[in-house]
Amino acid sequence: MNIDRRSLQYFDWVFFSIAAILIVFAFVNLTSATNSGVEGGTSDIVRRQGMVVGLCSVVMVIILMIDYRHFERFAFLLYIGSLLLLVATLVIAPETRGARAWLFEGRMQPSELAKITLVLVLARHFHRNPPEANAGLRQLIRPVLIAAPPVGLIIAQKDMGVALLTLLVAMTFLPFVRISLRAWVGIAAAGVGALTALWAYGLRPYQQQRILDFLDPERDPLASGYQAMQSRIAIGAGGMFGRGWMEGTQTQLRFLPTQHTDFIFSVLAEEWGFVGSILMLSLFLSMLLWGLWIASSSKDQFGAMLAVGLVGTLFWPAAINIAMVLGLAPVIGVPLPLFSYGGSAMLSAFISLGLLLNISMRRYLF
Amino acid sequence: MSSGYGDGRLSGGGSQENSGSLGVIAAVLILTFFTFSLRLFQLQIVDGAQLRSRSEQNFVRTVRLEAPRGDIVDREGRILASTRPAYRVQIIPNELHRGDRTFRALSQILGEAPGEISKRVGHPTGRRRFQPVVLRGDLGYERFAQVESHRYALPGVVTNIGPRRHYVEDDLAAHLLGTIGEVGTRQLALPQFSDYIAGEIVGQFGLEAELEAHLRGHAGGRNLVVDVAGREIELLDEIKPIPGGRVVLTLDLDLQRVAEEAFRSSDPEVPDHMGALVAIDPSNGEILALVSLPSYDPNSFAGGIDSKTWDQLISDPWKPLRNRAVSGEYSPGSTYKAVIAAAGLAEEEITQEEEIFCPGYYRMGRRVYRCWKRGGHGDVAMEQALKESCDVYFYNLGVRLGIDRMAHYAKGFGFGRATGINLAAEKAGLIPTMEWKRRVKGEEWIKGETVSAAIGQGYNLVTPIQLAVAYAAIANGGRVLRPQLVKRFETWDREVLKIMIPEERSRVPVSREIIEVVRDALIAVVEGERGTGGRARVPGIIVAGKSGTTQVVSLDLVKNLEPEEIPIGYRDHALFVAFAPAMEPEIVVVALVEHAGKGGGTVAAPIVQKVLARYFEKHPREPAPEPTQVVLVQERLQGHPQGHAQEGRQ
Repeated sequence: MNIDRRSLQYFDWVFFSIAAILIVFAFVNLTSATNSGVEGGTSDIVRRQGMVVGLCSVVMVIILMIDYRHFERFAFLLYIGSLLLLVATLVIAPETRGARAWLFEGRMQPSELAKITLVLVLARHFHRNPPEANAGLRQLIRPVLIAAPPVGLIIAQKDMGVALLTLLVAMTFLPFVRISLRAWVGIAAAGVGALTALWAYGLRPYQQQRILDFLDPERDPLASGYQAMQSRIAIGAGGMFGRGWMEGTQTQLRFLPTQHTDFIFSVLAEEWGFVGSILMLSLFLSMLLWGLWIASSSKDQFGAMLAVGLVGTLFWPAAINIAMVLGLAPVIGVPLPLFSYGGSAMLSAFISLGLLLNISMRRYLF
Repeated sequence: MSSGYGDGRLSGGGSQENSGSLGVIAAVLILTFFTFSLRLFQLQIVDGAQLRSRSEQNFVRTVRLEAPRGDIVDREGRILASTRPAYRVQIIPNELHRGDRTFRALSQILGEAPGEISKRVGHPTGRRRFQPVVLRGDLGYERFAQVESHRYALPGVVTNIGPRRHYVEDDLAAHLLGTIGEVGTRQLALPQFSDYIAGEIVGQFGLEAELEAHLRGHAGGRNLVVDVAGREIELLDEIKPIPGGRVVLTLDLDLQRVAEEAFRSSDPEVPDHMGALVAIDPSNGEILALVSLPSYDPNSFAGGIDSKTWDQLISDPWKPLRNRAVSGEYSPGSTYKAVIAAAGLAEEEITQEEEIFCPGYYRMGRRVYRCWKRGGHGDVAMEQALKESCDVYFYNLGVRLGIDRMAHYAKGFGFGRATGINLAAEKAGLIPTMEWKRRVKGEEWIKGETVSAAIGQGYNLVTPIQLAVAYAAIANGGRVLRPQLVKRFETWDREVLKIMIPEERSRVPVSREIIEVVRDALIAVVEGERGTGGRARVPGIIVAGKSGTTQVVSLDLVKNLEPEEIPIGYRDHALFVAFAPAMEPEIVVVALVEHAGKGGGTVAAPIVQKVLARYFEKHPREPAPEPTQVVLVQERLQGHPQGHAQEGRQ
């Protein structure tokens, strides 16, 4: 435990402020989303989310106090630990909504933590094995071997959304790999092959349905396309300035599906309008870009790689979620970091934020 | 500290190699978020207005509030048709948690198999899951209360209340009141139904149809905010429905009831009589009773009639849906003789005193026309001819008059055309003329047909309501009135909108003196010795009347049969018409008994008598006046042709 005076001095207030504004915004939005009493009642969800945020803040403070370089040493251990949790989940978790992804009666989703430990291990790998020019595909072997177990286990849990997400997070590191154009084409081909196989063997009929509905929304507007349609109506109804907080009819009358989790952005877009949505997107993008700046200003390669990976853990779920909500992607059950209700996702987001702040405040050490 | 990180590269993060890759990532991020912004612009700004209106369609539901149909009451304000609350039980499929349990519990209350309920609900998908399925449109209050008190155990079950037509007296005056039903698709295409919506209730027959505009009221509406499950969240605005107007009929429920009762047989072995009865106030044409039997229960139409009941009503050979009082066309039989007598006097083809010899038959060429009395009446003058209903007297008179002159007078008394009663089903009847036969049959008139026509047989067809109007004209001194069914129109809260005034359509083409001669003869029919209408006498009241018996089939078909052996459809109809008090008549009653098999004086007169008796029980008279007083009364009548009669009843 060493909080250097200097690290306090260099505390990244900008990054912290952007994140804090987003969190407050998210909280206000969630209050409206649950106003009409989703299961458990209004205040219940907001109160629970408040408790989660408080708890996560404590975790964040603890993470801030530990020099991030210690995580390099324990990265593998944490990675193995999260793999064990995934295995345990697979074995003991009851099946909920077709997947075995939650522990402790749905309170914990180990895959959320696995994303972070995967980033830690990958950062450690790229720190120790800096990318070499013309090393060919060979340099991809170990990262793939590292990423495969968690992704495989999450696929085994039948949580396809999170599996895809974890894969994408791992792929955040691809720009750092120096490989030829031919190799890129090969990777793309492999990706298409994998997706085809996933479609045929990995997806259940309802998931295939969702993708078909996305490709052709008029196919059956009343069945699974209903969610996407209602989401689009809500966003459009927001117009330029929104319908006002707690005034969105799509939200308040619960025409939005799972509006406090997956479709939380529709709530925001309906009630805060184009102006509010762009503001939120700008803040989110600023936060991510600032994360990349943290990576570039990090004093060591581990910190840089870790920061990049952490930006990935925030970016990919946000991108998939918003694309889905905006009708740009099929309906995939991925929460919007910081905004969606849910403990595990919130914890993983806070850990990411904490580690980014950690890297940032220690950029002048050594 | 930090000694363990010796291998950390001091040049690390800021290296040139990294910044290129970071630039790629930053570009991806910016591009992604820029795409999102574009999409938001498209959805919120470009399509914003359209999507907002769709969101409004999502949550505002307009509920139609049916206006209760106006009440129909009798002249004393007693309700005949009203609107009562109907308790509906519905199921919202989406809210069924354990369908099987709910169905089982419901089946106990509703007395319906659980599988039956489950089948009705089915497995709706999509938004239809939120649409209520009506299980019972009209539940008794008791069962409704049971459902209500078990609501906690019946998730997904919804109850509500809607207006429903209720005919308080069941089948009483059913034909007059008519029926309601959903507006038909063919009706909806008509201009008068342009403001109706599919499924709306509309009067289909009888007064329900005739008075539709007044009874219907104005539906209101309610704009509700609903949530995704269709639950009502908030009331935005409401336009209250305006209930339909109240109609006060001229009908007297007591008389109607007595009249219908009078057709019923006291002997369980003997079936009830079928037929029609009309009671009318001769001073103003107000209908006091209007009966058609057999009847039906209009309540079975109120909630949409089931096909079984409908088939039964339609295939019944007695045609219970037909309003015999206005659509039944019958030979007038001997009731026609009063008109022929008046015509004879008016045309001076006969005098009151002239006697005609009745040997019991009348010969024309090779055909013999019989009097109903085989032995004959001997020499008869007009009063006796009417009193004993001598056919031969009228055969002679008819031949003297000829068919066209008879027709002229018959039409003058209102026969041969609709009386203008406010019921669409009314028939015009038929009064034949030579021209008519040429035009319709393409044949020349045969003289023998004139003989039959003189006693109301042959082609002659009249409706009971026409008979009532014609005899009302005799009773009131010659005015042919339009029968009135409605006394006044009121709003639902009893503000009087319109009082119907009597309408004189024409005057009979005979003088008052002639009418008085006929009237006196008709008094003799009932009050005189050997009159055919003795069974219509009412103690203390002078009654005038005329019986009639009309052949349904040619006599040849039945001449060798005993009365009991004649198939019921071949038996004669019995008719009786009466008015009373004869000198200042207040009520005319026509009774027609289909296939009675016996004469009008035997079967129909007692029915008329019961109605008259009930009427004078309600409106007692002073004891029958002395002759001197009769003159006084007559003078007064002439001074105030109708005023007195009206006062007497109000």
